[in-house]
Amino acid sequence: MSVIKLTGGRVIDPANGINDQVRDIYVKDGRIVAALADGDKVSAEYNVSGRVVMSGAIDMHTHIGGGKVNIAREMLPEDHRGDPVARTEVTRSSCGYCAPGTLAAGYRYAEMGYTSCFEPAIIPMNARQAHMEMGDTPIVDTGGYAMLGSDDFLLRMLVANEDQKSINDYVAWILHSTQTLGIKVVNPGGISAFKFNQRKLDLDEQNAYYGVTPRRIIQTLTRAVHELGVPHPLHVHASNLGVAGNVDTTLATMEAAEGRPIHLTHIQFHSYGTEGDRKFSSGAARIAEAINRHKNVSADVGQVLFGQTVTASGDNMSQYRNAAFASPKKSAVMDIEMEAGCGVVPFKYKDQNFVNALQWAIGLEIFLMVEDPWRIFLTTDHPNGAPFTTYPHLIKLLTDRSFRNAMLDTINPDAKAMSNLAALEREYSLYEIAIMTRAAPARILGLTDRGHLAPGAAADIVVYTENADRERMFEKPDLVFKDGELVVRDGKVVKVVRGNTHVVKPEFDRGIEKKIEPYFRRFHSVRMNNFKISDDELCECGGGSKLIPHACGKRS
Amino acid sequence: MTNEASSTVVTEVACPFCGLACDDLSVDTAGEALAVVGGGCAKAQAGFARLGVSHDGASARVGGQPASLEAACAEVARRVKASAQPVFAGMALDVGGMREVMELADAAGGVVDHLYSEIGWRSTRVVQDVGYVTTTLAEVKNRADLIVLVGTDVVSKASRFFERYVWNDEAMFEPAPAARRIVYLGGGLNTAAGQSPDGRAADVFDFDRARMPEALSTLNALLAKQPVSEAAPLGIELARWQALVEALRAAKYSVLVWMAGDFEPAQVDLNINAIMSAVRALNVTTRSNGLGLGGADGELNASMVHAWQTGYPMRTSFASGIPLYDPVHNGTARLVEQGETDTVVWISALNDKTPPPPEAKVVIAPPTLKLEHEPEVFIPVSTPGVHHVGHFFRGDKGAALPLRALRATRLPSAAKVAAAITAQLKEVSA
Repeated sequence: MSVIKLTGGRVIDPANGINDQVRDIYVKDGRIVAALADGDKVSAEYNVSGRVVMSGAIDMHTHIGGGKVNIAREMLPEDHRGDPVARTEVTRSSCGYCAPGTLAAGYRYAEMGYTSCFEPAIIPMNARQAHMEMGDTPIVDTGGYAMLGSDDFLLRMLVANEDQKSINDYVAWILHSTQTLGIKVVNPGGISAFKFNQRKLDLDEQNAYYGVTPRRIIQTLTRAVHELGVPHPLHVHASNLGVAGNVDTTLATMEAAEGRPIHLTHIQFHSYGTEGDRKFSSGAARIAEAINRHKNVSADVGQVLFGQTVTASGDNMSQYRNAAFASPKKSAVMDIEMEAGCGVVPFKYKDQNFVNALQWAIGLEIFLMVEDPWRIFLTTDHPNGAPFTTYPHLIKLLTDRSFRNAMLDTINPDAKAMSNLAALEREYSLYEIAIMTRAAPARILGLTDRGHLAPGAAADIVVYTENADRERMFEKPDLVFKDGELVVRDGKVVKVVRGNTHVVKPEFDRGIEKKIEPYFRRFHSVRMNNFKISDDELCECGGGSKLIPHACGKRS
Repeated sequence: MTNEASSTVVTEVACPFCGLACDDLSVDTAGEALAVVGGGCAKAQAGFARLGVSHDGASARVGGQPASLEAACAEVARRVKASAQPVFAGMALDVGGMREVMELADAAGGVVDHLYSEIGWRSTRVVQDVGYVTTTLAEVKNRADLIVLVGTDVVSKASRFFERYVWNDEAMFEPAPAARRIVYLGGGLNTAAGQSPDGRAADVFDFDRARMPEALSTLNALLAKQPVSEAAPLGIELARWQALVEALRAAKYSVLVWMAGDFEPAQVDLNINAIMSAVRALNVTTRSNGLGLGGADGELNASMVHAWQTGYPMRTSFASGIPLYDPVHNGTARLVEQGETDTVVWISALNDKTPPPPEAKVVIAPPTLKLEHEPEVFIPVSTPGVHHVGHFFRGDKGAALPLRALRATRLPSAAKVAAAITAQLKEVSA
């Protein structure tokens, strides 16, 4: 039995309404407990008085595993050379900056106080690979969202006007078969449309073959996810990514959810207007106003930060279009298995480039104008807007107005003139940062035992020395505990543990397999039974990860 | 998971003996050796029969003498520890085997090199130079209307390609599979499989395949509407080349297929680059995709795991404590030739036919592998998909298949052996 005591820390735990209160925290066998029982002996005590204590941070949208990420790694040896991770007594060697190896990614996340990371774009057929890569991402818990919406099976169901119950059964079957935590839709129907040579697909435009619109896909899938009681709302990468004027599409996409929960991901890339001489402007105010008004809507930002990165997306329609802007000049675009696709395009965001600088400002405007920190999440859409290692810098931009304005003064002056950022006075508090990086992601994903520090929670705990320079503070925590084990001290990994895999298993009628099995035999490249990932197999893919299923409260 | 047709026949078995990883095999487990009784091909039948035995009596050897597994692993650890530059070669493994070898190679400061890396690194160079536009097998099965096989017949290496993905009974979209048009670029290929079920012969551009760069240049010139001066490039009338270009432009979903191992090694990246150039030109107005097939002997298991764990493709050295990628420098043959390695460790659980290089002091392989020289250490291992479960990446990168355990054996897996050596190595170091 292991009993740990953290003594005298300033606890910030928004899920339990605790804002900077001095408290002792007890950990017994990896869980937080209210107090010690008779006979419990403290095996390790850490005096953390005066220091800030939060639960482990959660990245709810980060591309850390799966086919497209591995293509990015292979594509970019020039990215890796400057960023090696050396072998130590406890860690293995790895490397990479914007497309790091799984080992480098796990160590670096832990070293920044992150203890859970979620891959948001798992092509069902590629779920094994995604779980294998996440299984080789040390220390952090993982999980993912399965991509639907351009898969021929669903589109055929829509054409056949199958009832919502059958669709719900299919969606639940996908969640079980791929061992995932949520459903993602990427450019709804657009990846399929690209295979039929369509190059764009607006919300109410029909897929050339199926006649189905993105709006219908969003309506159907938001309803399915909601009725199945999956905690995480449909995770939506909307139509027209990166296109000037797409703010209208994004606002209409919110309406398409018809009041049901919907999460709009990397919304910065979907918040562009067409004003000004260059027909490219900020739609942030309209987006923020809509999020403030629609309580069913949440979003993560996908903040752009300047420098070299690589964009990796399931949206091959958009990525094919963006390949013209690749830097360095190379790109990989794939159609994949009648389900989806992917596109990998290296990109360098430049602060003197008008569009890039305005993208930077738009992301910050959204952060600062959305009022409820429970519904706006801190992401760079790693690596699409910037690598996750830039999070401490992003936190400084959000918490320090003078720093933000000093940065604003250095960007492309025309972009600066087009942004209202200088007028935004808001500075995020530590409490709000803890909401958007801990409490809120745990809540929106249904992770009841993560993202907080109440008795019963998993002991994923981070201790920081407070520093007015929030970048310094958040880039190097003093202590990080994962399930009660001390894994990081002074910003360096001291012990490597294996994280858990989070999944949902909604109830459904297995009779749906009578429709799915013949489809696989007729049209797919594998048999249905070889597509499904069992619990035992998942643990093997994860290299021995523990499976944590989260409850779904069925609503139909 | 299994649908048992009878008590001894296991159905829907995935096959680890070529890059197609067909998963519709029925395997009878009743006899002394495994017998493929449904699905499969000659290679699968031979593989399951040869390796699908229990390997009773096989034992590890050190210096030609029987040794315990533990003693043999300790001896390998000692040699690797003493080595200035160990090389881990062969690598015909499943995902689990490769994962453990990676940990060993890092701890040992070694280099990892698959038996096809000499071709593989040149393929990878294309994604590092220009990237690609590609598709996967299920898309081909349902969408392809024009399939161009560039310098390969595919079936010599992956015999069921046409059976499973081209001449199907039905497809989800037009055209009907039987109406698909097949074109071969290059002579000396087995084009019989390209004949349609209703007897339509494939269109064969018969020329010396060593001249593939010229053929692809001709196509790219015509696609770019540039003049071609020769009346009959490679002895084939220009009008036929022009007709092929027109067919590609008119196709709704053409697929250009290659197998890098069928190109002249020095032309691998040049040819794939040229294919990508054609595909990109076509995609301006229609859809066209490349399809690179490979993946035999766990080639993709090795390359995928290596890339995701370290960030780099294979032929990376861990000697300095950080990964250093240099695919030209870190090839096994070159390191051996130049005397830059003193210890070659050959690890192969899927392939018992390819002989290890004579310099291999340690051989970790199925006991059915015929050795020309007795290595200093030999450790017999079981085979994934035959003796133990595992995972296998298909050659189009479209799927990773689960492998079954069909035959009991006392032999350890390559993963277990690698992990034991790593544990010993760390003990030696401590």
